Amino acid sequence: MEQQETRQVTFHGEGAKLFGIYIVNILLTLVTFGLYYPWARAALLKYMYEESEFEGSRFTFHGTGKEMFIGFIKAIGIFLGLYCVLLGGILSQKPTFMMIGLAVFYIGFLLLIPIAIHGALRYRTSRSSWRGIHFGYPGDRKEFLNMFIVGCIITLVTFGIYGAWLVIEIRKYIFKNLRFGNITFSYEGEGGAFFWLNVKGYFLTLITLGIYSFWWVKDLFGYYVNNIRMYQGDTRLTFRSTATAGGYFKLIVVNMLIIVLSLGLATPWAIVRAMQFVFANIHIDGPLDVDAIEQTEGDYSDATGEDLADMIDIGIV
Amino acid sequence: MYNFNVRYYDGRLSIAHDATLTLMPDHWLIHYRDPSGELTSVRWAVPGIVTDENFSSLFIFRFGEFPQQTLECKDDSLPATLRQRYPERIFFKKGITRVFKWSNGAIAGLALVLLTLLGLGYWFGLPWLAGAAASRFPVRTEVSMGNTMYENMIQAYDVDQRLTAATNDFAKSIDFKTPYPISITVVKKDEVNAFALPGGHIVVFDGIIRKMKTKEEFAALLAHEVSHVHYRHSLRNIFRSLGGYLFLSLLLNDINGIVTVLADNSNMLANLTYSRELETEADQKAMAIFQADGLDLKGFVDLFTVLKSEHGDMGSLKLLSTHPLTEERLRAAEEMAEGQNGVKEDDELEIKWHTIEKTLNK
Repeated sequence: MEQQETRQVTFHGEGAKLFGIYIVNILLTLVTFGLYYPWARAALLKYMYEESEFEGSRFTFHGTGKEMFIGFIKAIGIFLGLYCVLLGGILSQKPTFMMIGLAVFYIGFLLLIPIAIHGALRYRTSRSSWRGIHFGYPGDRKEFLNMFIVGCIITLVTFGIYGAWLVIEIRKYIFKNLRFGNITFSYEGEGGAFFWLNVKGYFLTLITLGIYSFWWVKDLFGYYVNNIRMYQGDTRLTFRSTATAGGYFKLIVVNMLIIVLSLGLATPWAIVRAMQFVFANIHIDGPLDVDAIEQTEGDYSDATGEDLADMIDIGIV
Repeated sequence: MYNFNVRYYDGRLSIAHDATLTLMPDHWLIHYRDPSGELTSVRWAVPGIVTDENFSSLFIFRFGEFPQQTLECKDDSLPATLRQRYPERIFFKKGITRVFKWSNGAIAGLALVLLTLLGLGYWFGLPWLAGAAASRFPVRTEVSMGNTMYENMIQAYDVDQRLTAATNDFAKSIDFKTPYPISITVVKKDEVNAFALPGGHIVVFDGIIRKMKTKEEFAALLAHEVSHVHYRHSLRNIFRSLGGYLFLSLLLNDINGIVTVLADNSNMLANLTYSRELETEADQKAMAIFQADGLDLKGFVDLFTVLKSEHGDMGSLKLLSTHPLTEERLRAAEEMAEGQNGVKEDDELEIKWHTIEKTLNK
């Protein structure tokens, strides 16, 4: 039988370089009272992308601070607005206004989450490329918003149980709409299986006083990765996780030690370790023709248009 | 000498072409063999070439409308050659990202310098800023803010109206040398405590009055709290902790939870150190009031002795902040008391103190 083809993304980032980027970012952000933040984020993403390699070629992040700044200002405006409503309600000291303020605040927040996810996906994918081929996310905002809101309401009514199904629904929708040139994706997970995985993980973690948590995160990672499919024409490729509980144990414990013992200064090194771990444990199995991925133009021009508005590709949310 | 080995992507297909780049006077020529073996050439007009800003040693250029063509070159001599060949065109802008092409040692050195600056800003810049912000805060706003805070919190306490009246009468006989309207409220609580709100409200627990034997002791307590009001310590404290919180959240925005917890806790410790400085300042001002009014500084010695016996060494007079070690304050008060002269016996104050004592025992 023919040997199964498998490929991996590798991460070549260095803690020292990442540290330098963090320090410069932090300093400029402070000096500019936070206004530099979008540029800081662009620099960080650029670095992370260009240190990620697949089949001998690095990824590229094309986003710029200037583009993200517009979204950043909008996001800040929305947040300020929401907080003002909340504050106004509290300061009025009238129960009805307080209730209204609170309601507007929480509902606004709930609506913002899916809008932000959608905007971020559109923006991020359109600005990501490999060998000149761009990613894309032609998902529909209204559809996503509906799914999200209805899902949240059902989750509330079912005391959180539906949450597992909602997560899977969201993943399915996102992967269904993810494009890399003419390559498409899908997510094959199921709410029921995901739910029981979490129930099992939760109770065994409780019973074993936390020890089982390493198996739980391994299972969650595995459930995410193993259910991703990638399609090139008629060829179906599968993603496979090789993460083990032992591997997670080593990653988490050593990273905690690195961070705590350095009082947080060595966090970039911990991030590099985490990135290496994640990429090292994802395999893409199947006969992918890496030279034959075609650019599909529509994706890019879509996201540069009006929809830039809702890119909250910013860590606030 | 104008030839370089490059990788070329045409922007339509993900195939990587090993190509040769030739720098012509007004354009770049890219030659490669396509998969069928046919020699292909591409022409890039110099004005349309865009340099990709990046952190690594790879030089990346893009050309044309979307889908853009891409060219990658690893040759270190490329920038120098480009400068020589196209003197009027700048391919590599001097941006902040250039820093990251330095050696790791140089980056670490720079990082160390920046970290030191950050530390200095946090330890010295922030308290200074807090003070500056507090001193620019309008007194009227401060008073009305203090009133709102007072009205909200006093509902949680059982106010002793008669003691409050007696105490305010007592306070009127002391010149605190402050423009703030001082208003004292005594509440029924066994705790040995008192605190000041911004704008002039002082809350005293009757537990602490019960521990007192002399009028000077009580006057010392009031003078200390009034000094907090006078120097706007609450406001400075609020600005300091808010500033520290903002500073750290800007700093750690992208970093994980553990660091945030660490930082929050150390920020709290830093706040405590800051408020200890404020306490010392309040003690000094309070003693100055005593000296100016001719009151016996022994009141402070007695007050700190009471606090020491009540709280052990960690005396706490104010709600949210920790005081300097009581032992230290006691020693400072003793020193001041020894050097004091011109103590006057204030009979009126003595009478008012007796009224308070009588009201207490009823």
